[in-house]
Amino acid sequence: MSKLLPKKTGLIFFPAFDWAISPTHPEREERLLYTRDQIFEEGIMDLPQIEEYSPSLALIHDLARTHFCVPRVEDQITEAHLIAAGAAILLADKIVQGEIKNGFALVRPPGHHAMRVVHGNRGFCNINNEAIMVEYLRARHKIKRIAIIDTDVHHGDGTQDIFWHDPDVLFISFHQDGRTLYPGTGFTYELGGPRAYARTINIPLPPGTTDDSLLYVVDNLILPVLADFKPDFIVNSAGQDNHYTDPLGSMRITAQGYAKLTEKLRPDLAVLEGGYAIETALPYVNMSIILALAGLDYSGVKEPDYSPGRFKETPEHKDQVRRIVQELRQRWETRDNAPIEKRDVNGNYYQRKKHIFYDTDYIEENQLEKLRLCDCCPGYLIIDTKANLGFNRPATALCISVPAAACPKCRAEAGDVFQQSKKTSQYRNVYLQDKHSDTFYGYDCEKSREWLTEGR
Amino acid sequence: MYVGVDVGGTYTDAVLLKNNRVRAMAKIPTRENLLSSLLESIDTILKDADKKEIKRIVFSTTIITNMIAGHKYDQVELLLIPGPGLTHDYYKIKPYVHIISGAVDYRGRVTARLDKQEIDAALSKIAAGGCNKVGVIGKFSPRNTSQEKRVEAIIKEKYPDWQVELGSRVGGKLNFPRRAETTYLTCATRQPYRAFLDSVQQALAEREINADVFILKADGGTLPLKGSEELPVETIFSGPAASTLGVQALTPPGETSVVVDIGGTTTDLALILSGKPLLSAKGARVRDQLTLVRALAVKSVPVGGDSVLELDGNKIIIRSERQGQAYCLGGPVPTPTDALRVLGLTSLGDQDRAAEAMGILGKALGREIKDIAARVIDQVVENISAEIEKMFWEWEQEPAYRVWEVLHKHKEKPRLVVGVGGGAAGFVNKVADRLGCSPYIPQYAAVANAIGAAVARPTMQVSLRADTEQGYYIIQEEGQQEKIKDRNFNERMALDLAKESLIKRAAKYGLEVDPDEIEVASQEVFNMIRDWHTSGRLFDVTVQTPRGITGRVGDGGDIDV
Repeated sequence: MSKLLPKKTGLIFFPAFDWAISPTHPEREERLLYTRDQIFEEGIMDLPQIEEYSPSLALIHDLARTHFCVPRVEDQITEAHLIAAGAAILLADKIVQGEIKNGFALVRPPGHHAMRVVHGNRGFCNINNEAIMVEYLRARHKIKRIAIIDTDVHHGDGTQDIFWHDPDVLFISFHQDGRTLYPGTGFTYELGGPRAYARTINIPLPPGTTDDSLLYVVDNLILPVLADFKPDFIVNSAGQDNHYTDPLGSMRITAQGYAKLTEKLRPDLAVLEGGYAIETALPYVNMSIILALAGLDYSGVKEPDYSPGRFKETPEHKDQVRRIVQELRQRWETRDNAPIEKRDVNGNYYQRKKHIFYDTDYIEENQLEKLRLCDCCPGYLIIDTKANLGFNRPATALCISVPAAACPKCRAEAGDVFQQSKKTSQYRNVYLQDKHSDTFYGYDCEKSREWLTEGR
Repeated sequence: MYVGVDVGGTYTDAVLLKNNRVRAMAKIPTRENLLSSLLESIDTILKDADKKEIKRIVFSTTIITNMIAGHKYDQVELLLIPGPGLTHDYYKIKPYVHIISGAVDYRGRVTARLDKQEIDAALSKIAAGGCNKVGVIGKFSPRNTSQEKRVEAIIKEKYPDWQVELGSRVGGKLNFPRRAETTYLTCATRQPYRAFLDSVQQALAEREINADVFILKADGGTLPLKGSEELPVETIFSGPAASTLGVQALTPPGETSVVVDIGGTTTDLALILSGKPLLSAKGARVRDQLTLVRALAVKSVPVGGDSVLELDGNKIIIRSERQGQAYCLGGPVPTPTDALRVLGLTSLGDQDRAAEAMGILGKALGREIKDIAARVIDQVVENISAEIEKMFWEWEQEPAYRVWEVLHKHKEKPRLVVGVGGGAAGFVNKVADRLGCSPYIPQYAAVANAIGAAVARPTMQVSLRADTEQGYYIIQEEGQQEKIKDRNFNERMALDLAKESLIKRAAKYGLEVDPDEIEVASQEVFNMIRDWHTSGRLFDVTVQTPRGITGRVGDGGDIDV
């Protein structure tokens, strides 16, 4: 019999008590204050099942592996962002090295609305903590298949955007129906690019959904899909705004519901996303998630105003959820024989147009995204972006992303596109993200200046 | 003149200081009766002194440690008010725990009521078991003491003779399990501790010693003898604190040193960072449980001069136990002291017997005697050095909750390795070598602990929490809730209130505090925003009397290493 001690749950608590988007913004110093009080008073950090770690900073290079920050990474972030992303990376390292069994990065600022190209802050997010951590895991630890389950009340549109064409990253998001809540996306027909069809799954839930329907979705859709996909690593974007007291969302999930959800998903790493009922939800939901991850009894965690049976759904509501589950199960079953729509193909490229709005910074961005259709590899990606910043000239950039698995031909081709684009006066900046060599280039066309970051 | 006494597990050490010079010292074996050891050591150093000149006596004793380890206290039962959260089964593991209804949240709001019948039933059960010492601890009680106080009133009404301790009076820090443990220990030790203090006072009176008498705490501060009755557990583990303060007094100010106290079977380590002893981030661990007792960060490594050496195949194992003295001093088994002797790093014991001891290990390994001795020393030095490095690493890894703290992470390298306690000094040079530091053995190394006690200063903390939305503030140590009258209550006023309370509280213990010397240990302000407007502010302020020592002793201050 093995005499090894059972592994612990790793925790990084980084409330950033000296950082806010603005003094009265929901994403402010006070957000995790009562959560701190609760987990400290409960003595959570002293439990033998918990190991608390101190956060460290992510590198600019780690950010450049995932994002195209315009004009440069340093212009889009503060130290707090590096710490939040660094916390996710540190815990992921410890998990992969076998030091801890799972982890929870209880950190702010959040990240799941941050897309591949970053012109500013949208949905309280500048950079995508989970995506940065996932790309780090793939580059440093050669982990191939990763699943990200986004349980925030808002659609994780940033994470979806980043892994849209990636067949090795399964992204599942459940959220309040986009017709009723920011960012207004995340419908069942958003299923990923032609080479990663149904590796993006969106589950829009009607407002008022309770624990029962949520757990039905988990049992009948998310878990079976995960079982098929067989990920090597599961990430949970653990937003807590599905809670029945959240001021922004309109769902009816309880702390117990979050605990059961976590217990069923069994994520390797959970990363805090949104959740703005800072007094009535966060202290309890965070406790629930920590206890569930650590395999401890969470049945005693209860909001003061909650009593069992408080929330009921109508039969129609339940049916609606069941229909969504059924539809998505079918999509998943047929994931490997989805045809490419002819009208989306232009020469060697599959292309789509995107209009992106940055609510926090009031920026309008238009993108033309082109995926090189290659028979030997996943193909490289070209994003032509133009953002109206509301002042000065618009920010224009061409962003080329080469996946690690790209074939030599695609890599050479992408390199050519980069060199040629530098010469045109069409863009202010041109970027080449070469994940194959883990080297990322940026070029300022006006100043004719190039920079790069390299792997350690 | 100052007197410092450290009643340790093996020896009782005492010094008499005059103008920061050691005038007399004593080292006697500690007997079963701590009081008689203590008095004998004092009598020895005061033989030729004028008792009237003694201004202050500071004791460090193992009395509380002994009481707890020997279970020499009466039965204690706890009434816990945990409310929602971690499952109650977690607390019920302990047979002396009774769970009662009620709850307070993180803002100090009552979220569930007490149940009088339930309390009565629990008290009847406790009474039936013959217990008359009860601790009452509520989750979040430092934020609202009303439920704990109500339970106390119910107990006092029915059982006026019972001893009742409240969690909120024991400690204001947020950590319910640690608060419960600390309350238990306070409840258990207060009476026997008081009896001990009374006999100390009586004995001093008989000797016509009228000095102020203080007791050393685990954090390296002192409390007046009388005042220490309230929180006896704070005096636990004062021995290592005494040694550390001693080193502080015997080395230059602002120095970063490792304090290494190599004993018979254990080596105690402590850190002085830029002249300040490092406090443990988590509080003292007693009976394998964390408490709210503020303590220096001390580590005990299970290796010492008398540790048993054994062979396991080709490996030499250092066992954490002792089977008597070193072989070279007539003991039964090879020890690290024998290795030191073989290499000429100590003059203790008999050279031939030491060689014989190494031979026992060497024969089996087919190696030269000196080789074996070197290997033993390397292994001991490696064990100790690795622990020292780990202590620094742990300190650097202490969690940070602010951007500023993460960007300004602790980082410091020790310059001195200071050996105290007199045991196995030969190792100190080697440890210093291994860590790239200078070794230093102060002149009074053998009684550094007693010197530390003599130079310790009183310390006291007061924490204020104010919640302007709810309109009250609370001084944690007093457990008293007061209304905030001023509508413009601000940070300045919170700080002034805290300082005022500290001065008042200190006066209660007979201590005078210079307002200009008060240190702010921590200060937090949070704006509470509700619906995009500021609805109130939360202030948390902790102030304390300055930490430090009364002065440097002997040549401490200008050593040349």
